[in-house]
Amino acid sequence: MPTLLEIQQAVGRSIVEGDDALAARYVVAEGLPPEARLGIYRNNFIGTLTAALKLCYPAIHRLVGAEFFEGAAHIFIAAEPPRRADLDAYGEGFAQFLTGFPPAGALPYLAGVARLEWAVNRALHAPDVEPLDLSRLGAIAAAAHGRVAFRPHPSVSLIEADYPVDTVWRAVLAQDDDAMAAIDPGAGPVRLLVERRDTGVEVTRLDAPAWRFATALCASRPLQTAIEVAPEVDNATLLAEHLTAGRFIGFERVCGPITSGPNS
Amino acid sequence: MSARVAPITAERGSVPREAGIGLRFPHHHAILDERPRVAWLEVHTENYLGGGTPLSYLEAIRGDYPIALHGVGLSLGSAEGLDLDHLDRVRRTVERIAPALVSEHLSWSIAEGRYLADLLPLPMTEEALGIVCRHVDQTQTVLRRQILVENASSYLRWRYSTIPEWEFLAAVAHRTGCGILCDVNNIYVSACNHGWNPSIYLAALPPAAIGEIHLAGHSVRQLEGGRLLRVDDHGSRVIREVWELYAEALARFGPVPTLIEWDTNLPTLAVLIDEAARAAALLDRACQRIADADAA
Repeated sequence: MPTLLEIQQAVGRSIVEGDDALAARYVVAEGLPPEARLGIYRNNFIGTLTAALKLCYPAIHRLVGAEFFEGAAHIFIAAEPPRRADLDAYGEGFAQFLTGFPPAGALPYLAGVARLEWAVNRALHAPDVEPLDLSRLGAIAAAAHGRVAFRPHPSVSLIEADYPVDTVWRAVLAQDDDAMAAIDPGAGPVRLLVERRDTGVEVTRLDAPAWRFATALCASRPLQTAIEVAPEVDNATLLAEHLTAGRFIGFERVCGPITSGPNS
Repeated sequence: MSARVAPITAERGSVPREAGIGLRFPHHHAILDERPRVAWLEVHTENYLGGGTPLSYLEAIRGDYPIALHGVGLSLGSAEGLDLDHLDRVRRTVERIAPALVSEHLSWSIAEGRYLADLLPLPMTEEALGIVCRHVDQTQTVLRRQILVENASSYLRWRYSTIPEWEFLAAVAHRTGCGILCDVNNIYVSACNHGWNPSIYLAALPPAAIGEIHLAGHSVRQLEGGRLLRVDDHGSRVIREVWELYAEALARFGPVPTLIEWDTNLPTLAVLIDEAARAAALLDRACQRIADADAA
């Protein structure tokens, strides 16, 4: 008699990989072939996860249509089944998957829109964490400000895309065909800040230096480094904006030499 | 493991012995804005494990309605052990919402760390019984409260099962002190799919352990050869046979908090409230029977 672990591993392979050989031997063969009974659970698995992806990626679903979306989702689900039971956290790899999915090649902005939708999903479901208490910063001597490295709020994402994916995303979700038609895919790259505010999830465009500054800060690089990678910005004003918007939840003082090289 | 008596009856107070409805996202706004008369609400725990928008909705209504958290992802029957990170996320949500009831399923969903997104049936063996009881104990210890364990619908049976499902569920309650969430629709679906007698199922469950009843609609699929398979899709009204079985359950268990579940083809809130009213009428009759018996 197989152990429970052996049965469950066989059923997992039946459901995810479609390999029924072992699992079918464990099922009572009565009325309906074991493979058909296992197939009910496989269909539920694919159906539930496809629905979860559709909830997370509504703009992708509208852009490519139901048939394309479901086909892509099925391949993605088999390749990257969920590792957690809360499906709000499922589907992070979908944008990367679309990048390497040949049928998606005709829509070069697709992966960028998917990355934006994942950031929006992340902002929606991020834990509620109190923003940094600004009085704590006051205790740091001015000479040491450059050594402050912030911890970003978990709802914040910074995205860079080669296409105006925010415009595409808004037009698709609003089902605004005129706005869709007016989109110039060649309009160049966009740099976005995605976050949850009291009023809901916000997607804001930043210019290149402001985006580099915010990205360095949210990567917990020291303030001095963030200033060095974006020397042209009014860093005091931008920092004040980030702080009052509650985009940081804590900070550390970095010891040792500070470099402005790429993230290690 | 020593036997403990389930103290459910005393704890029923926090959720009224009335009919509530399962709350799904599309009805959040209607509940918030209209505050309809509903005795209590139940949500899927896994939809509120993060933070932010979903959880803030729940916090906004929990002052006005008793809330039950109904888990679908803990996988109490997984031989590889509970996902402790998941259990910890559940603990945080339970602490924040302070729900009147917390429940999970007699099933498994995780193998080799992969979540199979369904409530899979267990082989009804002594080995599986030991594993489920260990995980129920572990969950009740981490959450520092009693949980209810629900019978799931199933579409297959394992060749190695030696214990009838109803005895298995009663044994879990007896050994761990957990309560039972008796899903009357699931009993009906599984009984039809496997040729069980649903009355025998109900009769095997200890009345004092029943903390909640679920009701839902299901669909019927015609298979090759004319056989029928009943599928628990929570996508329609409760059928007559399940209402009859519910009346039988109330006659056995007395009035128990009852919930209308609806997940696919979600109708308007008014339809859910109407289904709850039907359950409430049967609950009233069960209460009346007790009052009559006391008076006699």
